[in-house]
Amino acid sequence: MLISAHEHVTWPASGRADDPDWAHDEALIAAADRLGIATMACSCLAPRPSTPDTFRAANDRTAAAIARFPGRVWGYAYVNPGYAREAVAEIDRCLALDDMVGVKLYNEYKATDPAVRPVVEHCAARGLPILWHQGHCTDPLPDQPSISDAADLAWLANTCPELKLILAHIGGGGDWEWTIKQAAEAPTLYADLSGSVVDEGMVEMAVEYLGADRLLFACDGSMCAGVGKLRGAQITPEDRGKIESETFLRLLGRSAPC
Amino acid sequence: MLIDTNAYLGHWATRQLRYATPDGLLALMDRAGIDLACVSSAAAVLYKDCHRGNEELAEAVAGHRDRLIPFAVLNPAYAGWRRDLAWCRDVLGARGLRLYPAYHAYGLTDPRCTELVAAAAEANLLVSIPVRQVDHRQRHWLVDASDVPLSDIAALVAAHPDARFIVLEGAGYLGSDLVRRAGELPANYWLEISRPDAVYTDEIGGLLRTLGAERLVFGSGIPFKYPEPATLRLEVMRASEAEKDLIRSGNIGAMLGL
Repeated sequence: MLISAHEHVTWPASGRADDPDWAHDEALIAAADRLGIATMACSCLAPRPSTPDTFRAANDRTAAAIARFPGRVWGYAYVNPGYAREAVAEIDRCLALDDMVGVKLYNEYKATDPAVRPVVEHCAARGLPILWHQGHCTDPLPDQPSISDAADLAWLANTCPELKLILAHIGGGGDWEWTIKQAAEAPTLYADLSGSVVDEGMVEMAVEYLGADRLLFACDGSMCAGVGKLRGAQITPEDRGKIESETFLRLLGRSAPC
Repeated sequence: MLIDTNAYLGHWATRQLRYATPDGLLALMDRAGIDLACVSSAAAVLYKDCHRGNEELAEAVAGHRDRLIPFAVLNPAYAGWRRDLAWCRDVLGARGLRLYPAYHAYGLTDPRCTELVAAAAEANLLVSIPVRQVDHRQRHWLVDASDVPLSDIAALVAAHPDARFIVLEGAGYLGSDLVRRAGELPANYWLEISRPDAVYTDEIGGLLRTLGAERLVFGSGIPFKYPEPATLRLEVMRASEAEKDLIRSGNIGAMLGL
């Protein structure tokens, strides 16, 4: 069974959670149907940097998607950790809802920034996983000056080992060999395999350095890339089963969806 | 019959390729159900004298010409390319060229490139242009080769109606001149589809509706990339079996006279 640990519900052009246009999300579900993906853990990203008003609206959209596509969509609560008090309250509001499974952080702050600490400590205390956008590109990304990379996330994981921290998209563009080796420096750090990059050997190297007990299947919108690279990986059936869903389910403390 | 228009042999300077030998590539092809592959030297791209890579390719494909179809890497900005072209046609038995304007520091509308393309057409050689060999976000810090603009390729195909072109490793075709201005351009170019998705964003569906299956060819990017994402696209794309046959082998087979 394939369960994707990293997808997105579309932020409506109107910015309204009750926008009737679900075409992009219906296309995502149709893609999952064609590729055999049972369930997708999704966040909805408001334009960055988000504010409490916009991240609440985005999470309302995610909650609406969970209701619209029961069993197919699980949710991450997306927050801007710079609004510490509002972000913590929003996490608690969202995680009281059915099928909300964790927290999504994007690029408003690096993982090493003290500003993220209240959210991080709250998630660690509640046992909530954080899926954290990252990338290690050769050239700086002018539109993402505060993007984290695997070194930042490894540092955070090592300073807060009780945190369930997921490094996003090993194949999301950037030096994936560096990312894997750097992630291996933190024994509690998980990683998802999503992204458009399908370089041969990526999955095998991730298994070699991190182990399938720390790796999660995902696409992040690159659907055939995500499924195809895992299909092509030369790994044991046991490791494949872990990556397909078992590791993620264990991390979430959930059973497989019916 | 499945023919891969986008395959390589030999070492790549900045990343290990695990299936870069003839036996390795053939094993990868067998695994993915690829019958024939158009191959060029990966090493040639970063050799100053890229023709040495063509010579290495000649050795590599010897004994495997029933499955490996040689393509030559030529650099019109380097000394001796006319002599090299004649050797590749007569000795290597190349059926096409691969051009790397970004790696070799020339423009596609440079008069030297114009002369090379005219010579290729005269020699009945296909001209293939990889838009990228590596995702620029993960480039080696000493190698800075940006993606070849699709608008430059559109200008090239317009200037050479007698030549035949294959665009490799491209994406975002639908918004480019290659599709938007297709009615004004000669029908002398084909698009390889290892990067566009076949579900969700479904760029391949858009290409089928605009250019049509007659102008699309299969490619995988092996051994740089896993072949399975490409074969998965074939599997799940919304196309008739007749259209898929054109993409699998019909179009490139006709171009190569197979």
